[in-house]
Order: sequence, then C-alpha cells, then structure tokens
Amino acid sequence: MKQNYDFDIEKIKNLSQKEKVSRKKNLDLFYESGFPSKQVEDWKFTDLKLILNKNFDNISNEVNFESSKEFKAIESFEHNFIFLTNGKIISTNFDHEEKNKILIKDFNQEEEVKNIDPSNALALLNTALSSGGFSLEITKDYKLKKPLVVYNCFSQDLKNKILNNKNSIKLNEGSELTLVDYSDNNTQSNFIKNTVDNVSLDKNSVLKNILIQNSKNNGHFYKYIKSSLEGGSSYESYILSSGLKLNKIEIEINLNKDNSSCSIYSALNLLDDQHQEIKTRINHNSPNCKSYQKIKNVLNDKSKGIYQGKIFVEKIAQKTDAYQLSKALIVSDNAEFDAKPELEIYADDVKCSHGSTSGSIDSDAVHYLMTRGISKKEAIKLLINGFLSEVLEKITNSELKIFLEKILERQINGH
Amino acid sequence: MLEIKNLKATINEKLILKGLDLNIKPGEVHAIMGPNGSGKSTLANVLSGKNGYEIEGKISFNGIDLNDLKIEERAQKGIFLAFQYPLEIPGVNTNNFLRTSLNSVRKARGEKELDTLTFLKLIKEKAKELNIDEKFLSRQLNVGFSGGEKKKNEILQMKLLEPKLSILDETDSGLDIDALRIVADGVNSYKNKENAFLIITHYQRLLDYIKPDFIHVLSAGKIIKTGNADLGEQLEKTGYVNLS
Repeated sequence: MKQNYDFDIEKIKNLSQKEKVSRKKNLDLFYESGFPSKQVEDWKFTDLKLILNKNFDNISNEVNFESSKEFKAIESFEHNFIFLTNGKIISTNFDHEEKNKILIKDFNQEEEVKNIDPSNALALLNTALSSGGFSLEITKDYKLKKPLVVYNCFSQDLKNKILNNKNSIKLNEGSELTLVDYSDNNTQSNFIKNTVDNVSLDKNSVLKNILIQNSKNNGHFYKYIKSSLEGGSSYESYILSSGLKLNKIEIEINLNKDNSSCSIYSALNLLDDQHQEIKTRINHNSPNCKSYQKIKNVLNDKSKGIYQGKIFVEKIAQKTDAYQLSKALIVSDNAEFDAKPELEIYADDVKCSHGSTSGSIDSDAVHYLMTRGISKKEAIKLLINGFLSEVLEKITNSELKIFLEKILERQINGH
Repeated sequence: MLEIKNLKATINEKLILKGLDLNIKPGEVHAIMGPNGSGKSTLANVLSGKNGYEIEGKISFNGIDLNDLKIEERAQKGIFLAFQYPLEIPGVNTNNFLRTSLNSVRKARGEKELDTLTFLKLIKEKAKELNIDEKFLSRQLNVGFSGGEKKKNEILQMKLLEPKLSILDETDSGLDIDALRIVADGVNSYKNKENAFLIITHYQRLLDYIKPDFIHVLSAGKIIKTGNADLGEQLEKTGYVNLS
C-alpha cells in the first residue's frame, strides 16, 4: 500500500537539517508498519488500514492552504479564542484576560512530545509530518476568567490530504483553564486529521477540557491526547462527538503525583455509518489519585462505537480510587458496540471498579411517552437525550452547560 | 363521544375482552368496577393503543375509528390514560417531557407551540393546583417519586393536555386520604359538559369523591351490570360474586 502514500517532508517549511533527518527516521519507522490494521491490538476494533484503503485512492501531506479569516463564533457565552485553520493559528483573542498571563504561539517544530509509544504508527507519522499547531501556557496562579474556545476550521481543498498537527497546553502551578476544543464546519472533502496534544498540568492546576466534534463530514480524525499531572492537579474531560465518518480519540493520562485526579465523561450519538472509538489509558503512578470515567454511546443506523479503557495501577499507587463505566444504547439492529475494559493492578490497597452494559430502548417508556401525544421518533430522541445528557451533570458553569445541552440536542437531531 | 361495540381483545392467544359494549357521552363520568383479572386494565390499554393486542369489534371516538389512529394520535385527538403504574424514565427531565408532550398535542390541534417561559408559567400554576412541589418538575420523570406523587403527576398531565376523554386506571391505588382528595379535586375541577371520564377502580373509595353517572361491572371480559352511583355502594356490601 506504500505506493498510495505521497508523504514529503520537504513540503514543511522552516525545518533545520537536523530536524529533517529526525523526521525522516520517524517516517521510515512509520513505513515499516503503515497504517495500523486490526491485527494491531490497539486497533482491533478499528481497522484503519482497511477503512483508509476503502475511502482514499492516495494520501498526501500538504501544508499550504487557502485559509479563511472568517468563522462562525459561538454566541451563547463570552469566551477567549484561538482560531485555527487546518490546525494552524490564524488569529487569537484573549480580551477577557490579563494578557501577560497567557503565552500563546505557534508550536515549536523542534520541540518533541516525549515518551510517545513507538508502536503508535500514527504518532510516528505525526512526528514526521507535523506542520505544527498551537502552544499555550498559563502562568502560575492565573485563573482564566472566561473559557477559551479553540475553533478548528478546515479549508475546502483537502481531498485525499492528511493534516498532522501538534499542540501543547501547559498549566503552571495553581492556574485554571476551561478549554473548549470546537470543530463545527462542513467541508465535503475526504481527508485525514492526525493530531497529538500534549497536556502538562503542574501542581494544583485545573484543566477542564471539552471536546466538541460537531461537523458532519467525511473527515477521518485521530487525536492522541497525552497528559501528565502533578500533585493536586485535576483534569476533567468532556467529549461530545458526532458526525465524522471516522473518529478515534485516544487519551492517556498519567497521574504522576499524589492527589491528582482525572475524569472523562463522554456522550456520543452515532448516526449513519459513523465509526467512533474512545480509547483511554489511565496510569496511576502515585498514591492517593483518583480517576473516573463514564462513557455513553448511542448507536443508530449502521454505526459502530468502541470503548477501550485501561486502568493501570503501579505498585506504589496505594489508595488509588479508579472508576470506569461504559453504557451503550443500541437503537438499530444494524449498529454495533464493542467494549474492552481492562484493569491492570499492582498495588494491593486500591478501589477499582468497572462495568460495561449495552441495551436497547425501553419500549414501555416509548409507549408511555407516545400516550402523551409524542411521536415514536420524538419519544426515542427524548430517551436518547435523557441517556446522554447525564454526563453533563457535573458542569458548573451554567451558560456553558446550556450550550452543551443544545449541542447534544443538535447531535441527537442529526445536526 | 366513545362508542364501543362488541369489543374483543386477545393477548398472547388469550381472549381477555369477550364482547364489550360501552357508550360514553360528553359530560358523563363512567366507572368500571370488577374483580381482578376481569379485563379492566386491558380495556384501558386497548383504548390507549398499546401494542400486542389483537382487536375485534368497533371502537369509535367522536366518529373516528380508533384502530386507524396511532398511539400518539389518540392522545392528540383527546384521549388520555392515567396509568396504574406510571413509568419511571431516568434521564428525562419532567419539565422537558411535559413541554414536549403539550407542544406535540398543541401542534396536532393546529395551535401555537408554547415557548419555555410561557410553558413554565402555565405548568407552575397547574402544579400548584395539585399541591405538587415545583422541585418535582425539574427532576427526572417519576424517578424516586412516591406512589402518590406519581399519581398526582398523571393528573397534572391530564390537566395540562386537556383531553376530551380521560381514562383513570386505578388512580386511587397507593394513595393516602390526602392525596386521594387532591387527585379527586383535580379531576372534579377539570370536569365539564364537554369532556368525559372513564374511571377504572376496584373500590368504591374514589367514587365517594368523584361521583359517577354510571357504574359498570366488568366480569370475565364483559359488562354484566350497569347502574347508577348506588351500585357502587351495593357492591361494596355484597362483593362481585353474588352478581353473576
């Protein structure tokens, strides 16, 4: 299949000779295996090679695009923003904040995201072909007054292209940020987006990371979020994603110091032949850390949903409190859901629980709602909304919560 | 308003209703009493359009053949069933449900749908009449509600949707005296010359509060006796056994 790729490092601007050599090495490593197929354990439910072969004649990297300066801003709540086209910064706005507390720049091409699993072919490819992204740092003890929205827009000329981006988010000690990673535009072209986010949370910092994938298009997205947490820091992640042909979000969280905590809430409503996977790996590397995961999937039509979640508890990580629950609602006979929950525990004084259920719509509930004048279709939507909206319960910012409820409703209505 | 002729209903190959006739006119309150297993709830289910029943005979509602109407269309045309066991529906917010329901019915009637604010004002008024605490409205539908709260919630829905025919299936079961009185007051305050009620019950108790014009005794799938309000008191003394 190698002949179908046209990957050229020379297309990427401003690289030093040394950087080019290092990238070439990564590209060669990628070529050894190519895009992963289901034979690779991490991809056993998402045969990427097969899916790409089916949907792409050839794939090339490209970094020069017509970028629009316009985008449709969210009006429901006041916010700061970073506007990206094809992953590159076009403009930023931090008018709500003390500007010297926030460092925002293009991702430094020479900087490497460390310790990425060398068996992750897409991460290798990303390292080889990354055209950058944004790098954000919040200074010590600064708590942003308003959420930050990262607008992800795409140009129209992406047919058969792969975008590779790297972003970095660093919260210094005691700082706080609510970051809304927002994709909502409909390009018709068939393209791949491969993103690596590096999240680093220093002592007692708090990140709320809300991922909203709201575009209905032919995108094939892979996002790898690698985060490291220091003592007392907290990482809260919400995922609302619907509409992409293929979406795989892989989250690795390293709870490196005492009393750090993380949670992942996800509400996914899949339609048509959409394929979506959430893969998590929580590493409890230190005592007294907490992790919480609640993954909810609704599978309509011929869609396929996957959750692979692993909790890893090191020997020293006593008093770990880890929770993992996956619930799926299968609405159509042609839909599929696969779950692979895993616990790997080496400490002996821990509290770890996990569960996975899948079921169908409660027909008695549908009947009850219909006797109140609600059509079957609307009744099912109400039940789906009831099932998914639970994951938003913990959001305290009421403006943001109302906004997310609307997004969810829109996703349930098929956009 | 409602005309039932020789209604037979079968579920899982078992004949439950064996030729039932019933006529209800606007402004009337009918009660159906009868022993366990006589087919009372089946009648309620069949009228609401519940799946799984094989139906023979004729049911017409204001001249429309009910068999031609889907479940939600029956509700939209003005048939309301207060459930014996109202369902708990986790995740679905009560207010949100009530608004969707009301707007579906209003839309079908060609009326304007209510916006959130107008709706909230209306629902608060109606809830107050039934002594329902507002906080129940923002909770998940019937989840963790007591038996009495669930039944009150059914009557709230009735008053909100303003049906022509209200079928109350054992609405008195599980109610204490105070809740029973509130529910009965709710029904009585809604009663007028245009609408009708079909009250299904085991006991005379509810009929002390809501006075029926007719009482029918259902036994083994047929109405075996019809009388006025006095029949209820008589049954209370003699039981159903001596009727057949």
